[in-house]
Amino acid sequence: MTAKSVAAGLTLSIITASAIVSAAHAADFDWKKFQGKTVSFLANNNPVSQTLLKHKADFEKLTGITLKVDMYQEQQMRQRLVTVMNAHSDEADVFMTLPSREGAQFAAAGWYADLTPMTKNEVAPDYDYAGLSQALLKAATYNGKLTSMPMNIEGPVLYYRTDIFKKCGVDQPKTIGDIEAAAKKIKACDPSITPFVSRGLKPALPYTFSNFLHNMGGSYMVNGKSALCTPKDKAALDTYSHLLRAYGPPGVVNYSFPQISALYRAGRAAMDFEASNELPTVMEGGARLKDTGLIPLPPGDGGQVPTTIGWGIAVSAYSKQPDAAWYFVQWATSPAVQKLMAVQGIAPPRSSVADDPTYRKWINEQPVRKEWQAALDVLASKGTSEVGYPIVANPQSREFIGQAVQSLILKEKTVDQACADADKALDALIAQK
Amino acid sequence: MVALESPAIRKPAETFGQDRQRLELAALSAPAVLFTVGMIAFPVIYTVWLSFQSFSSTGKQSFVGLGNYAHLISDNEFWHGLWVTLALYLLSLVLQLVFGVWLALVLFHAKRLSGIVRSLFISPFMMPPVVAGMMWLVILDPSIGAANYILTSLGLPPSDWLASPTFVIPTVALIDSWQWTPYVALIVLGGLQSLPPSVYEAAQIDGASPFKTFQRITLPLLLPTIVTATILRSVDLLRFFDIIYITTQGGPGNASNTLNIYGFRVGFEFFNIGYASALMLTLTAIVFGAVLAFNRLRNAVAW
Repeated sequence: MTAKSVAAGLTLSIITASAIVSAAHAADFDWKKFQGKTVSFLANNNPVSQTLLKHKADFEKLTGITLKVDMYQEQQMRQRLVTVMNAHSDEADVFMTLPSREGAQFAAAGWYADLTPMTKNEVAPDYDYAGLSQALLKAATYNGKLTSMPMNIEGPVLYYRTDIFKKCGVDQPKTIGDIEAAAKKIKACDPSITPFVSRGLKPALPYTFSNFLHNMGGSYMVNGKSALCTPKDKAALDTYSHLLRAYGPPGVVNYSFPQISALYRAGRAAMDFEASNELPTVMEGGARLKDTGLIPLPPGDGGQVPTTIGWGIAVSAYSKQPDAAWYFVQWATSPAVQKLMAVQGIAPPRSSVADDPTYRKWINEQPVRKEWQAALDVLASKGTSEVGYPIVANPQSREFIGQAVQSLILKEKTVDQACADADKALDALIAQK
Repeated sequence: MVALESPAIRKPAETFGQDRQRLELAALSAPAVLFTVGMIAFPVIYTVWLSFQSFSSTGKQSFVGLGNYAHLISDNEFWHGLWVTLALYLLSLVLQLVFGVWLALVLFHAKRLSGIVRSLFISPFMMPPVVAGMMWLVILDPSIGAANYILTSLGLPPSDWLASPTFVIPTVALIDSWQWTPYVALIVLGGLQSLPPSVYEAAQIDGASPFKTFQRITLPLLLPTIVTATILRSVDLLRFFDIIYITTQGGPGNASNTLNIYGFRVGFEFFNIGYASALMLTLTAIVFGAVLAFNRLRNAVAW
């Protein structure tokens, strides 16, 4: 035998051996490993979970695991979660979480199970961990522990009525200043339409307000202190509250996404700055399908820094069966399931799904869907997850931001008073460890 | 030295039998009593213990004694919450008592009342508060709600309803009164039906007008029933939560931030369980105090 043939034979046997080993390893992964077990899922009642749970039967058939679902409206779900976790109960094996809001807090309290080893060892061969949005994975990592897997990507986007814009001679806004100019023109042209609607409900408005703040070059904290009274922050407070006060619907201080989407869908608003995953709700019934344009918030003095967040699905640190729970988590965030959810309007946090031909076909069916995907691409590449202060007490910081904006909408305080009061309260909050 | 057989100590047979019966009854009801006491006492004691602790955002716990209560006294939000609670309580109570008594009188004097009408009267308070809240949130939406539609078609100016800092408390009082006036009416109706007819016959003979009859006879005799209804409603109204949480979450600003809403948010949204416990115990004390005061009043107006 020549050296060449020996080398060839050796290489071939090595390749075959490794192929057999990896095939054996892949064959090691058995979806039915935890057949007969029951995994309990504490879910939020929003479009993401609703769409996921439409395919619940698929999961149960694939794995033989029974899925018990407890679904609540967002704040009630959070309260239930806090109660269950404080009691160290194993009642919820898997739960939905929003890293941008509670990630730091829950991680510090030790409520998340570390998913890093699971993503390396017990994972299906087609899971494509590397294909997940690195930005969202980073946002869910605290002290080196991966706390949740991203289910979707979302952020506030500007829906606008192309037909009303045409009628009133308004161009697509290219800067934040253009939004105010457009609103003014539309109010003069058609007083029966609400020119601009966005969130005014105190705990909900930081989500949309943060985008204005960042686009206008402001930031919540500078050198460890609250910075709401800096010139750029004051400008953002003034712009956002003025838009809602002068051009928003009556009673906007109570408005969050349910009322906003209802108003826009009914054709009563010209511009709607709301979450991208409200697309299915807004398009329900088809009335707004043909006359809606969609862009990320136009840039301001600070450029274009869209708010980008994603819901995550996490395993409870107190679960008695984290491995079975992980099977549900990886199924829910697998490319196959995210592809199914994508064509129902839940934006996938995977570029591979976004490039998938079935999804592309769905996107290309309607111009507004193309614009939606284009806006999400901007969010995925340029986005920040900072909604509220980057501290553990993030939810409470949003309360003070909300109070400041609301007092301006209701004309109860001047901008200087509102920002000073908020800064005082927030500095006290930051100082609390 | 007392003889063992002295008559003062030896019991007659009957009382001994009675004691034994009491012991048996006590033994049989002991599990239920223990369970009830445990279910009520344990959470209260635990809450008291929690109110002496302070919880940081990361969940670190430390004993602060009366620190939470001291913070409560200096907390503007607490005093504002107390004011909102009392304002909402008084407004709702007056509305419900006045219209409840009126409705009870109407029902009492109605010759026949079909089952459908009776069911309609009962249905508001049978509705879960969440359903009622969501229903009114839609009806009272300033842009697409039915309420403003009706106002504008009658030529009246539209209102911000739940979004107005000035009108949110009266609006919430109206929603609660819509729900619970029939309940008050039913209680007062029961009271009306138990009034002695002899007094009315005497009044009629003496030639008293219907208004005088109502003012001098019906109302004073109804006072115990009305105070009972007041106690029952007070316990709920002082802890006002459901409607506000569904509709405004304490807003706009903090115009509808009752003590219960405030305590709930402090505990479950900001995770400051210690301070929330102190707030809730204060609220419990207020409710308790009100019930004790009204009980005294009821004894005073009893006949």
